[in-house]
Amino acid sequence: MSQTVLVVDDSPTLVKFVSFSLRASGYNVLGACDGMDALEKLANLESDIDMVITDLNMPNMDGYELIATLRENDKFAATPIIILSSEEDEEDKRKGEEAGATSYLVKPFKSSVLMSEVSRLLG
Amino acid sequence: MNSQTESSGVGTNHDLHVQLKELANSLSEIVSSIRAAHEPIVESRSKVPEATQQLERIAQQTQDATHRVLDMVESITKREGEIESLLKQLQRVLPATYFRNNSRVKRVIGEIAKKTSDNQNDAYAIMDALQFQDITSQQIEHAMTVLEQVEHRLHEVLVSFGEEDLKAPDEPSRKRSYDPNARYSSDHRG
Repeated sequence: MSQTVLVVDDSPTLVKFVSFSLRASGYNVLGACDGMDALEKLANLESDIDMVITDLNMPNMDGYELIATLRENDKFAATPIIILSSEEDEEDKRKGEEAGATSYLVKPFKSSVLMSEVSRLLG
Repeated sequence: MNSQTESSGVGTNHDLHVQLKELANSLSEIVSSIRAAHEPIVESRSKVPEATQQLERIAQQTQDATHRVLDMVESITKREGEIESLLKQLQRVLPATYFRNNSRVKRVIGEIAKKTSDNQNDAYAIMDALQFQDITSQQIEHAMTVLEQVEHRLHEVLVSFGEEDLKAPDEPSRKRSYDPNARYSSDHRG
Protein backbone atom coordinates (compact mmCIF):
# COMPACT_ATOMS: atom_id res chain seq x y z
CA MET A 1 0.00 0.00 0.00
CA SER A 2 1.42 3.41 -0.91
CA GLN A 3 2.31 5.95 1.73
CA THR A 4 0.34 9.17 2.11
CA VAL A 5 1.85 12.65 2.38
CA LEU A 6 -0.02 15.78 3.50
CA VAL A 7 1.15 18.91 1.63
CA VAL A 8 0.27 22.23 3.33
CA ASP A 9 0.84 25.52 1.50
CA ASP A 10 -1.30 28.59 0.79
CA SER A 11 0.20 28.68 -2.71
CA PRO A 12 -1.92 26.41 -4.96
CA THR A 13 1.06 26.28 -7.36
CA LEU A 14 3.35 24.83 -4.68
CA VAL A 15 0.75 22.25 -3.61
CA LYS A 16 0.28 21.24 -7.28
CA PHE A 17 4.04 21.11 -7.94
CA VAL A 18 4.90 19.07 -4.83
CA SER A 19 1.87 16.77 -5.33
CA PHE A 20 2.96 16.05 -8.88
CA SER A 21 6.49 15.09 -7.77
CA LEU A 22 5.13 12.86 -4.99
CA ARG A 23 2.52 11.14 -7.22
CA ALA A 24 5.18 10.50 -9.87
CA SER A 25 7.16 8.62 -7.19
CA GLY A 26 4.12 6.57 -6.15
CA TYR A 27 2.93 8.42 -3.04
CA ASN A 28 -0.68 9.34 -2.25
CA VAL A 29 -1.12 13.08 -1.68
CA LEU A 30 -3.51 15.13 0.42
CA GLY A 31 -3.41 18.94 -0.02
CA ALA A 32 -4.31 21.71 2.47
CA CYS A 33 -4.16 25.51 2.13
CA ASP A 34 -3.11 26.41 5.71
CA GLY A 35 -2.60 24.96 9.19
CA MET A 36 -6.30 25.04 10.10
CA ASP A 37 -7.28 23.30 6.88
CA ALA A 38 -4.57 20.67 7.49
CA LEU A 39 -5.84 19.90 11.00
CA GLU A 40 -9.43 19.64 9.72
CA LYS A 41 -8.37 17.26 6.94
CA LEU A 42 -6.38 15.12 9.39
CA ALA A 43 -9.34 14.98 11.79
CA ASN A 44 -11.58 13.66 9.00
CA LEU A 45 -9.01 11.20 7.65
CA GLU A 46 -9.73 7.53 8.26
CA SER A 47 -6.27 6.22 7.33
CA ASP A 48 -2.88 7.28 8.75
CA ILE A 49 -0.67 9.97 7.33
CA ASP A 50 3.00 9.06 6.79
CA MET A 51 4.53 12.50 6.34
CA VAL A 52 3.68 16.22 6.44
CA ILE A 53 5.31 18.79 4.13
CA THR A 54 4.45 22.33 5.17
CA ASP A 55 5.09 25.98 4.37
CA LEU A 56 5.69 28.48 7.21
CA ASN A 57 3.99 31.73 6.17
CA MET A 58 0.29 30.93 5.87
CA PRO A 59 -2.92 32.71 6.88
CA ASN A 60 -5.18 31.45 9.73
CA MET A 61 -2.54 29.10 11.15
CA ASP A 62 1.15 29.22 10.21
CA GLY A 63 3.55 26.29 9.85
CA TYR A 64 5.15 26.66 13.29
CA GLU A 65 1.77 26.43 15.03
CA LEU A 66 0.70 23.51 12.86
CA ILE A 67 3.88 21.55 13.68
CA ALA A 68 3.63 22.32 17.41
CA THR A 69 -0.06 21.23 17.41
CA LEU A 70 0.77 17.99 15.59
CA ARG A 71 3.63 17.20 17.97
CA GLU A 72 1.29 17.57 20.96
CA ASN A 73 -0.78 14.68 19.54
CA ASP A 74 0.71 11.22 20.20
CA LYS A 75 -0.56 10.07 16.80
CA PHE A 76 1.79 12.49 15.01
CA ALA A 77 4.63 12.56 17.55
CA ALA A 78 6.97 10.60 15.25
CA THR A 79 5.57 11.63 11.84
CA PRO A 80 8.34 13.13 9.67
CA ILE A 81 7.65 16.82 8.95
CA ILE A 82 9.49 18.75 6.23
CA ILE A 83 9.33 22.54 6.16
CA LEU A 84 9.40 24.18 2.72
CA SER A 85 9.98 27.90 3.08
CA SER A 86 11.45 30.88 1.27
CA GLU A 87 12.74 32.05 4.68
CA GLU A 88 16.41 31.11 4.69
CA ASP A 89 17.52 32.66 8.01
CA GLU A 90 19.14 30.37 10.55
CA GLU A 91 16.66 31.80 13.06
CA ASP A 92 13.72 30.43 11.03
CA LYS A 93 15.41 27.04 10.74
CA ARG A 94 16.03 27.00 14.50
CA LYS A 95 12.39 27.93 15.20
CA GLY A 96 11.25 25.16 12.86
CA GLU A 97 13.44 22.63 14.65
CA GLU A 98 12.18 23.81 18.05
CA ALA A 99 8.58 23.43 16.89
CA GLY A 100 9.37 19.83 15.99
CA ALA A 101 10.21 19.78 12.26
CA THR A 102 12.37 16.93 10.99
CA SER A 103 13.86 18.72 8.00
CA TYR A 104 13.98 22.18 6.34
CA LEU A 105 14.24 22.97 2.61
CA VAL A 106 14.53 26.49 1.18
CA LYS A 107 12.32 27.54 -1.78
CA PRO A 108 12.89 27.41 -4.67
CA PHE A 109 14.19 23.83 -4.58
CA LYS A 110 14.80 21.03 -7.05
CA SER A 111 12.09 18.38 -7.03
CA SER A 112 14.87 15.75 -7.05
CA VAL A 113 16.24 17.20 -3.76
CA LEU A 114 12.78 17.10 -2.18
CA MET A 115 12.15 13.56 -3.37
CA SER A 116 15.47 12.26 -1.98
CA GLU A 117 14.61 13.84 1.36
CA VAL A 118 11.13 12.27 1.29
CA SER A 119 12.48 8.80 0.48
CA ARG A 120 15.26 9.17 3.09
CA LEU A 121 12.73 9.98 5.81
CA LEU A 122 10.13 7.42 4.76
CA GLY A 123 12.65 4.68 4.21
CA MET B 1 15.95 104.64 32.77
CA ASN B 2 12.21 104.87 32.11
CA SER B 3 12.67 106.38 28.70
CA GLN B 4 15.17 103.61 27.88
CA THR B 5 12.63 100.97 28.92
CA GLU B 6 9.87 102.60 26.92
CA SER B 7 12.16 102.89 23.93
CA SER B 8 13.17 99.22 24.35
CA GLY B 9 9.49 98.21 24.70
CA VAL B 10 8.59 99.94 21.47
CA GLY B 11 11.47 98.12 19.75
CA THR B 12 10.33 94.77 21.17
CA ASN B 13 6.75 95.34 20.04
CA HIS B 14 7.98 96.26 16.59
CA ASP B 15 10.11 93.07 16.40
CA LEU B 16 7.20 90.99 17.65
CA HIS B 17 4.93 92.56 15.06
CA VAL B 18 7.44 91.77 12.29
CA GLN B 19 7.83 88.19 13.50
CA LEU B 20 4.07 87.68 13.76
CA LYS B 21 3.66 89.02 10.24
CA GLU B 22 6.33 86.58 8.98
CA LEU B 23 4.63 83.76 10.87
CA ALA B 24 1.26 84.70 9.37
CA ASN B 25 2.83 84.72 5.88
CA SER B 26 4.42 81.32 6.51
CA LEU B 27 1.14 79.90 7.78
CA SER B 28 -0.63 81.30 4.76
CA GLU B 29 1.94 79.60 2.50
CA ILE B 30 1.53 76.33 4.41
CA VAL B 31 -2.26 76.50 4.09
CA SER B 32 -1.88 77.20 0.33
CA SER B 33 0.51 74.25 0.01
CA ILE B 34 -1.91 71.99 1.88
CA ARG B 35 -4.77 73.20 -0.35
CA ALA B 36 -2.62 72.53 -3.43
CA ALA B 37 -1.72 69.07 -2.13
CA HIS B 38 -5.33 68.16 -1.35
CA GLU B 39 -6.45 67.37 -4.89
CA PRO B 40 -3.40 65.21 -5.79
CA ILE B 41 -3.85 63.31 -2.50
CA VAL B 42 -7.54 62.69 -3.28
CA GLU B 43 -6.58 61.57 -6.79
CA SER B 44 -3.73 59.32 -5.57
CA ARG B 45 -5.92 57.71 -2.93
CA SER B 46 -8.62 56.96 -5.51
CA LYS B 47 -6.06 55.23 -7.78
CA VAL B 48 -4.65 52.86 -5.14
CA PRO B 49 -7.53 50.31 -5.17
CA GLU B 50 -7.29 50.10 -8.98
CA ALA B 51 -3.54 49.43 -8.79
CA THR B 52 -4.10 46.78 -6.08
CA GLN B 53 -6.77 45.05 -8.20
CA GLN B 54 -4.48 45.13 -11.23
CA LEU B 55 -1.74 43.39 -9.22
CA GLU B 56 -4.27 40.82 -8.00
CA ARG B 57 -5.29 40.10 -11.63
CA ILE B 58 -1.64 39.72 -12.67
CA ALA B 59 -1.05 37.22 -9.84
CA GLN B 60 -4.20 35.24 -10.73
CA GLN B 61 -3.45 35.14 -14.48
CA THR B 62 0.15 34.07 -13.87
CA GLN B 63 -1.06 31.34 -11.52
CA ASP B 64 -3.64 30.07 -14.05
CA ALA B 65 -1.04 29.96 -16.83
CA THR B 66 1.49 28.23 -14.55
CA HIS B 67 -1.08 25.57 -13.63
CA ARG B 68 -1.87 24.94 -17.31
CA VAL B 69 1.85 24.41 -18.00
CA LEU B 70 2.19 22.16 -14.91
CA ASP B 71 -0.74 20.01 -16.13
CA MET B 72 0.86 19.70 -19.57
CA VAL B 73 4.26 18.81 -18.09
CA GLU B 74 2.59 16.13 -15.96
CA SER B 75 0.93 14.67 -19.10
CA ILE B 76 4.25 14.70 -20.94
CA THR B 77 6.09 12.87 -18.15
CA LYS B 78 3.29 10.28 -17.96
CA ARG B 79 3.55 9.63 -21.71
CA GLU B 80 7.34 9.41 -21.51
CA GLY B 81 6.94 6.85 -18.72
CA GLU B 82 4.55 4.87 -20.94
CA ILE B 83 7.08 4.96 -23.80
CA GLU B 84 9.74 3.55 -21.44
CA SER B 85 7.50 0.63 -20.45
CA LEU B 86 6.55 0.00 -24.12
CA LEU B 87 10.25 -0.21 -25.00
CA LYS B 88 10.73 -2.78 -22.23
CA GLN B 89 7.77 -4.77 -23.63
CA LEU B 90 9.33 -4.62 -27.08
CA GLN B 91 12.61 -5.97 -25.73
CA ARG B 92 10.72 -8.85 -24.12
CA VAL B 93 8.72 -9.85 -27.23
CA LEU B 94 11.45 -9.48 -29.84
CA PRO B 95 13.71 -12.49 -30.40
CA ALA B 96 16.96 -12.33 -28.42
CA THR B 97 18.94 -12.49 -31.66
CA TYR B 98 17.79 -8.90 -32.39
CA PHE B 99 19.84 -7.67 -29.43
CA ARG B 100 23.04 -9.57 -30.04
CA ASN B 101 26.28 -7.58 -30.02
CA ASN B 102 25.82 -4.07 -31.39
CA SER B 103 22.72 -4.77 -33.51
CA ARG B 104 20.80 -1.91 -35.09
CA VAL B 105 17.62 -2.75 -33.14
CA LYS B 106 19.56 -2.65 -29.86
CA ARG B 107 21.11 0.72 -30.77
CA VAL B 108 17.77 2.27 -31.85
CA ILE B 109 15.94 1.09 -28.74
CA GLY B 110 18.82 2.40 -26.63
CA GLU B 111 18.63 5.80 -28.36
CA ILE B 112 14.85 6.03 -27.89
CA ALA B 113 15.26 5.16 -24.18
CA LYS B 114 17.98 7.84 -23.83
CA LYS B 115 15.84 10.52 -25.53
CA THR B 116 12.85 9.57 -23.38
CA SER B 117 14.94 9.90 -20.25
CA ASP B 118 16.29 13.30 -21.44
CA ASN B 119 12.72 14.47 -22.07
CA GLN B 120 11.72 13.39 -18.55
CA ASN B 121 14.65 15.31 -17.06
CA ASP B 122 13.79 18.43 -19.08
CA ALA B 123 10.14 18.15 -18.02
CA TYR B 124 11.21 18.08 -14.35
CA ALA B 125 13.51 21.08 -14.96
CA ILE B 126 10.51 23.00 -16.44
CA MET B 127 8.46 22.05 -13.41
CA ASP B 128 11.20 23.21 -11.00
CA ALA B 129 11.44 26.53 -12.88
CA LEU B 130 7.68 27.09 -12.51
CA GLN B 131 8.24 27.73 -8.81
CA PHE B 132 8.96 31.30 -9.93
CA GLN B 133 5.16 31.82 -9.77
CA ASP B 134 5.05 31.06 -6.04
CA ILE B 135 7.91 33.49 -5.40
CA THR B 136 6.58 36.32 -7.62
CA SER B 137 3.09 35.96 -6.13
CA GLN B 138 4.61 36.51 -2.67
CA GLN B 139 6.38 39.63 -3.99
CA ILE B 140 3.09 40.86 -5.49
CA GLU B 141 1.26 40.20 -2.18
CA HIS B 142 3.94 42.31 -0.45
CA ALA B 143 3.48 45.16 -2.98
CA MET B 144 -0.32 44.98 -2.52
CA THR B 145 0.04 45.21 1.25
CA VAL B 146 2.29 48.28 0.90
CA LEU B 147 -0.25 49.90 -1.46
CA GLU B 148 -3.07 49.23 1.02
CA GLN B 149 -1.00 50.83 3.80
CA VAL B 150 -0.39 53.89 1.57
CA GLU B 151 -4.15 54.09 0.89
CA HIS B 152 -4.88 54.06 4.65
CA ARG B 153 -2.26 56.78 5.31
CA LEU B 154 -3.66 58.98 2.53
CA HIS B 155 -7.14 58.46 3.96
CA GLU B 156 -5.91 59.60 7.40
CA VAL B 157 -4.34 62.71 5.84
CA LEU B 158 -7.61 63.57 4.07
CA VAL B 159 -9.61 63.05 7.29
CA SER B 160 -7.18 65.40 9.07
CA PHE B 161 -7.95 67.97 6.32
CA GLY B 162 -11.55 67.86 7.52
CA GLU B 163 -13.04 65.19 5.25
CA GLU B 164 -14.56 63.18 8.09
CA ASP B 165 -17.33 61.81 5.85
CA LEU B 166 -14.85 60.21 3.43
CA LYS B 167 -15.50 56.45 3.02
CA ALA B 168 -12.75 54.42 4.71
CA PRO B 169 -10.69 52.13 2.41
CA ASP B 170 -12.14 48.63 1.94
CA GLU B 171 -10.46 45.87 3.93
CA PRO B 172 -8.62 43.25 1.78
CA SER B 173 -10.97 40.51 0.53
CA ARG B 174 -8.69 37.84 2.07
CA LYS B 175 -5.87 37.55 4.59
CA ARG B 176 -2.48 38.13 3.02
CA SER B 177 0.46 35.94 3.90
CA TYR B 178 3.88 36.19 2.29
CA ASP B 179 7.58 36.33 2.85
CA PRO B 180 8.69 39.90 1.98
CA ASN B 181 12.21 38.60 1.30
CA ALA B 182 11.15 35.82 -1.11
CA ARG B 183 13.56 35.74 -4.07
CA TYR B 184 13.58 33.56 -7.16
CA SER B 185 16.86 32.09 -8.30
CA SER B 186 17.31 29.64 -11.15
CA ASP B 187 20.06 28.15 -9.00
CA HIS B 188 17.67 26.13 -6.83
CA ARG B 189 18.93 25.91 -3.29
CA GLY B 190 16.96 22.93 -1.90
